[in-house]
Amino acid sequence: MFIAEVLTSPQGPIKILRTGRSVQSLRGGLGLRVGAEKSQSNGLAAARQAPSDSLLSNTDVSREVRESRRGAAEVRRRGFFRLSQEQVVLIVVAGLVVLFGAMLPGFLTLGNLLTLVRNVSVLGVLSLAMGLVVIARGIDLSLIATMGVSTALTLQALSEPGASVMLAVAIGLSVCLAMGLLNGFVIAFVEIPALFTTLATGLAVFGLARTFFLSGGNLIVDVPERGAFVRTMGLGHILGLPVPVLIFAAVCIATHFVLTRTALGRFIYAHGDNPEAASLTGIPIRPLTMIEYTVCALLGYLAGLVLAGTLNAMDTQVIMTSPLIYNVLTVVVLGGISLVGGRGGVQSVVAGTLLIGVMLNGMTLLNMDVFVQQIIQGLILLAALVLDKRLNPRDEETVKQGD
Amino acid sequence: MAVSEVLSREQRAASDKPILELRKATKVYQGVPAIKDVDFTLYPGEVHALVGENGAGKSTLCKIISGAVTLDDGELLIDGQAVNFSRPRDALERGIAMVYQETSLVDTMTVAQNIELGHESLLTRYRSLNIKAQILLQSMNFNVDPTAKMATLGAAKKQMVEIARALRAQARVVIFDEPTAALTPEEVLHLFHVIEDLRAADVGVIFVSHALEEALQISNRITVLRDGALQVTKPAREMTREAIVRHMVGREVVQTIYSRDGHHERHKSGAAMREVLAVENVTMGSVVKNMTLRAYAGEVLGIFGLVGAGRTEIAKIIWGALKRNRIHGGSILLGNRPIRYRVPAQSLRDGIAYITEDRKRNGFFERLDIAENIYLGWLAKRKGWRSLVSTREKRELAETWIKKLQIRAIDGNAKVVELSGGNQQKVVIAKSLVQDPSLVIFDEPTRGVDVATIAEIHQIIRDLARSGKAVIVISSYLPEVLALSDRILVARQGRIAAEFAQGEATAEEIMYAAVW
Repeated sequence: MFIAEVLTSPQGPIKILRTGRSVQSLRGGLGLRVGAEKSQSNGLAAARQAPSDSLLSNTDVSREVRESRRGAAEVRRRGFFRLSQEQVVLIVVAGLVVLFGAMLPGFLTLGNLLTLVRNVSVLGVLSLAMGLVVIARGIDLSLIATMGVSTALTLQALSEPGASVMLAVAIGLSVCLAMGLLNGFVIAFVEIPALFTTLATGLAVFGLARTFFLSGGNLIVDVPERGAFVRTMGLGHILGLPVPVLIFAAVCIATHFVLTRTALGRFIYAHGDNPEAASLTGIPIRPLTMIEYTVCALLGYLAGLVLAGTLNAMDTQVIMTSPLIYNVLTVVVLGGISLVGGRGGVQSVVAGTLLIGVMLNGMTLLNMDVFVQQIIQGLILLAALVLDKRLNPRDEETVKQGD
Repeated sequence: MAVSEVLSREQRAASDKPILELRKATKVYQGVPAIKDVDFTLYPGEVHALVGENGAGKSTLCKIISGAVTLDDGELLIDGQAVNFSRPRDALERGIAMVYQETSLVDTMTVAQNIELGHESLLTRYRSLNIKAQILLQSMNFNVDPTAKMATLGAAKKQMVEIARALRAQARVVIFDEPTAALTPEEVLHLFHVIEDLRAADVGVIFVSHALEEALQISNRITVLRDGALQVTKPAREMTREAIVRHMVGREVVQTIYSRDGHHERHKSGAAMREVLAVENVTMGSVVKNMTLRAYAGEVLGIFGLVGAGRTEIAKIIWGALKRNRIHGGSILLGNRPIRYRVPAQSLRDGIAYITEDRKRNGFFERLDIAENIYLGWLAKRKGWRSLVSTREKRELAETWIKKLQIRAIDGNAKVVELSGGNQQKVVIAKSLVQDPSLVIFDEPTRGVDVATIAEIHQIIRDLARSGKAVIVISSYLPEVLALSDRILVARQGRIAAEFAQGEATAEEIMYAAVW
C-alpha cells in the first residue's frame, strides 16, 4: 500500500531517532544533568551572551550551548515522544479502528472502510494543498472559497449550451490561478501576513462570484448532463477502487515527489525553515511564494471537482457554513506539519487524514449529533495546536512572522 | 568646570561611603568567566566611566548591578550592605536604574504613559499623569511633550524619556549604556548638563561608552575592562586618551602569521591589482555616511569598527540587503559596472557572497542536514532551478565541501543545529562558496566559534584570497583583523576613519582611530 511506502520515506522518523541516540552516546549524557526546560533556557541565555564575550569564553559558551540544547532536545525526544508525530497519530487511528470495530457492527466491513477512505479523499487533497503552504510557513484560509467558486463556475459553464468542456475547465483553472497569484503577490510583495491576506481574499472571491457570476440566488449548482467526467471523478470506480481514492493517492505521490525530489520542493522546505536565510541564500522567495499559493489553489480546484462529483452538485454555501477548513487545518497540524514551517510532509497529511476520516465515520455511525461532532472536532484542532506548540516551540525569530 | 571643584568633589567622595561596591565580582557563563574578580566602587555624586572593547565585560557588569543577571562569585554591596538581586525590579527598588542603549520604551504609548510604565496605580487619570510627567521633564529641562506618542520622537528625545523614567523611580544610581551614540553634539551637551545635575544631586552615575573624549570630559573616575578583567581604575584627570587605548588593547595574543604570497611587495611595487569593487561616497540615512572603499582581487580587506560604526551596514548595502539613499547615495561599481540590487539573489548572480554575522538567525536551515544546506546554496545559484534534485550530486557536493572545510559532524546527515558553532559557521561558508563568488564578504566570521576552528576559518579566508578572489572581512575583534588583513580600514560612526596597510598598523593605532 502506498501509505506504507510514504511512511518509510527517507525523511522518516527512524533516521532521526538513530541520530539522536548516537548523539547521546557520544556525549555521555552530559547535557542531561539539568531538566529539559532549564537547560534550554540556560542555553538560550548563553547563546545571547555569546557574541559579547571574549574569544576564549565564546568557545566554551558555544560548546555548552550546543550541549545543553542537545540535552533539551534529547529529553524532549525521550520523555515526550519517542515516536514521530505521524506514528503517534497512526497508533491513535489504529486504536480508534479497534474501538469502533468493537462498538459498531457495521464499521469493520470492507464496504464501510472504502467509503471511509473515499469520504476523506477530498479532505486529503485539500490538506495536501494546505500542507504545501504550511510547510513554507504560510496558511491559505481562502482554500475552501477558491474550491467552491472555481468548481461552481465550471459547472455553470458546463450547463451553458455554447461552452465546451475545455472552456469550462479553463474557467475554473483561471479562477484558481488568479486567486493563487493574488494571494502570493499580496503575501510576498505587499508583505501582509498570510492569515489576513487569505481571510480577506477568500471572502472577496466568494462575494464576487455570488454577485456577478452565479446566476440568480442559485446557491447550489448541479452537475449538468455534460459534466459526466465530474461525476466519474466523484463516483466512478477503476479496478474496483473508487476514483476519489485514486486521485488522493496520485496527488500524494505527486506531492511527495515534488517535495522530496525537486529543487522546488527543497526550496519550499528552506522557505519554511528560515525565510530570511532562504532569501540570503539566493532562493527567489517572492516568486516561490506565488507558486506555492497557486499550486495550493489548483489542488483546491481538483478537490472541488471530486466533491461536486460525489454530491452531484457544488453547494457554494459550503464556503461559509461547513467546518471543512477546520478539518483541513486539523489534518495538517495534527499530522505533524507544524505551523512553524519546514516540518512534516505527505506522510503527515496521510496520517492526519486517516485520523479525521475514522473519527468522522465513527461518529456518524454512532448517530452523533452534528453539533456534538463539531465540538469534538474543535477540541481535536485545539489539542493538535497545543501539541504543535509543545513539540515545535516558537522562538523569537518565528514570532516575527506574525501569523 | 573648575578643577578645584572637581577636586573638592573627589575628596568629598573619597570620604563618603560608597553607594555601590562590587568585590571580586565574577560571572561565569557555562564554565567561562565573562568577568572575573572585578572590583568596582561608585560614590554618591560621582560619574564613573566604564570603557573597554566590545565583549570586554562592560555589559555583564552593568547587568549585574541592574539585577538582570546574578553574580556567581563575589559580592555586590549597596550602602555597605550585601544584596542579592534576582531580577531588575529588585535593583530598581534599591534605587538603581539603567538607561538602555536600545530604548526599552513602548512606541504606541505617550511619553507620560511610558514614564509611568510599571508604576501605574489601579486607576489612571491621564490629566494628572501628564502633569506629573511634565513636572518631571521640566525639572530636568527636557523639552518633551508628555502627551506625544513615543513613536513620533527622535532618538535623543527617546533617551530623555528613558532618563526621566529612571529618575521617576528616585534612582540613586543611574547606569548609562552608550548614551551618546545616537545623539548630535548639541544633544550630547544637554545630556552632560543632565549628568551634572545628577551629580549635584548626589546620584552615582555609571557611564558606559566608546567615546573616550566624552568619558574623559564628564567622569570623575575611569575604569578600563579587558577580556572580563579589571585593567585599571583611575581618576579621569590622571588619564589620557592614549593611556586608555593602551589599557583597552594591551592584550598579549599569539599571532598566527599567514603566508601572504608577497602580496605587499606587489602592492608596494605598484603592480596593478585588479579592482573588483569600488564603493564611492555611499550614504544610507545617518548610519553610513560617505563611505568610500576599494576591494582588489587576491586581497583580504579588513574592516574594523565598534558597535554603531556602520561596518555591517556597508556590507549589506553592497550586497543588496540594505538600500543606500536614492539621492546622493553614492555609487558602487562591481568591475566597471554600477550596481544597485533589489534582492540578494541578484548580487549572488553577479558573484558577490555575504556570510552573515548571525548564522542562527539567517545563516542556515536548522531542520535540514549539512548536505541539504550546502546543496540549497548550489541549487539557488544554478540556472533553471525548477529541475530535479540529484541525491548523488548532493552527496558528492557535501563530501567535497565537508572535506575541503574540514567540517566535523557525526555524519553527513547530521542536522546543522546539532553541530558546534564552528562547524555551523563552516556550513554557512560552504553554502556561500558553493556558489562560486568572486567577492566574498565575511561579517564577524568567527563569532561564537571555538579557538581551533577560528584558525581553520582564518586559513579558509586566506586561501580564498590566494585563489584570486576579493575578500572583505568585517570584524570588531582586533586580533582577527590584524591577523587576516592585507589592508585594514577602520570604520567610525558611519565613516571610514583610517586606512592601514598590513604591518603598518598597531593595535593601539587602530583602536585609536575606531573610538570617538
